[in-house]
Amino acid sequence: MSICIKGTGIVSPQKTFHDGGFPDEVVEYRGIRYLKCIEPPYREYIDPMTGRRMSRIVRMGICAAKKCLQDAHVTMPDAIITGTGLGCIEDTEKFLTSVIRNGERLLNPTPFIQSTHNTISSAIALSIKCHSYNSTYVHRGFSFENALRDGIMFLHENPDSNVLVGGLDEITDHSYLIMSRMGFWKRKPIDNLALLEYGDRGSVPGEGVSFFMLGNRTDDDRNCVRIRASDILYKPQSEEYITLKLQQFLAGQDAGGIKPDLLLFGLNGDPRSDSIYHNIHNILFRDCNLAYYKHLCGEYDTSVTFALWLATMILRHQQVPDVIKLKAFEPGEINNILIYNHVHGINHSFMLITRC
Amino acid sequence: MKELIENLKNEIIESLNLEDVTPDQIEADTPLFVEGLGLDSIDALELIVLLEKKYGLKIDTAEEGKRILYSVRTIAENIIRSRNP
Repeated sequence: MSICIKGTGIVSPQKTFHDGGFPDEVVEYRGIRYLKCIEPPYREYIDPMTGRRMSRIVRMGICAAKKCLQDAHVTMPDAIITGTGLGCIEDTEKFLTSVIRNGERLLNPTPFIQSTHNTISSAIALSIKCHSYNSTYVHRGFSFENALRDGIMFLHENPDSNVLVGGLDEITDHSYLIMSRMGFWKRKPIDNLALLEYGDRGSVPGEGVSFFMLGNRTDDDRNCVRIRASDILYKPQSEEYITLKLQQFLAGQDAGGIKPDLLLFGLNGDPRSDSIYHNIHNILFRDCNLAYYKHLCGEYDTSVTFALWLATMILRHQQVPDVIKLKAFEPGEINNILIYNHVHGINHSFMLITRC
Repeated sequence: MKELIENLKNEIIESLNLEDVTPDQIEADTPLFVEGLGLDSIDALELIVLLEKKYGLKIDTAEEGKRILYSVRTIAENIIRSRNP
């Protein structure tokens, strides 16, 4: 299934919306409850008259998608596929608040129209006049993984195509409060770079928009990175089962199996969910370099896209930023990266990313 | 009338999020839709909600909408007329 990543575009709480690799400067947030994106210069990508009705996530989505097209040197994709856990939650909240306040009468149409989960992929299509296949997956912690799977299937059926696949989610005060009550987030404000040092329950929520241009081949071999394999596990019964499935996943990629040069795991500072990452590292990959990323982008349903972007940058530039290093770090060539992430212990996913 | 027209211009800019437009740029008699300010059908819906909420002006049919929402002046005239039937 090896698929080439021809280009990327990302808006995140870090300064990632630029050309090149990982930003030189890491943004540290002190005393925060959630991580919000650093917004791109919208006017360079969206006509103000068109963008006036768009919410923040729609604008960020269009900017990231256009950046991805530029990076891949593709003007018109053959498909646009997105994954999102909560979609345009800000507009959904606006619409529902207005339903309650106005007694279900005199409702403004814009938040309603813009509140659907597929607003972003549609807005991207409209902004570049793309009339091709357009789809959105809303499967909580598997939203991006299923969008990716659809993109890969599209490329099997249309081998010469370019498919724009993205994952996106936004954080709002309301969604933060509701999920705080459910015990997902830490009770006190934190410093993001110290995320793993707190030891109490909960993580820090975040947000982000990432797009990837996928194709079967690329003209630029120097920058070529491939998604060699991916798999998902829904509500696995035990850690032993996850370990077994991960072993099978790696063994299935090559006759002798594959030993990753770097592990990029989704540790999020909640001891309830992080123990599995440490256990798998100890059991299967004791001497392997381990890195993490959610202190930079926060936890959200499609946060694995930040890991995929990070893996792409590491493989392209052969540099592992110090801020993500966690265990057993040895310098050396990096040809294979294993991404393992789970969302609330329910949606587990593996991705093997390699250099061409 | 003049004060109402000025208020309407500000409210249209705010409710339709016309970031680059100032009240001075909206002529009272210029058409709001298509060739004038360039508003579209969703803007029309937003204006209908605004006028009913703020001024109690109800627009019941598409024909009435076209006539009333033609310009800032036609909106203002209809608001005054609805107050003094």
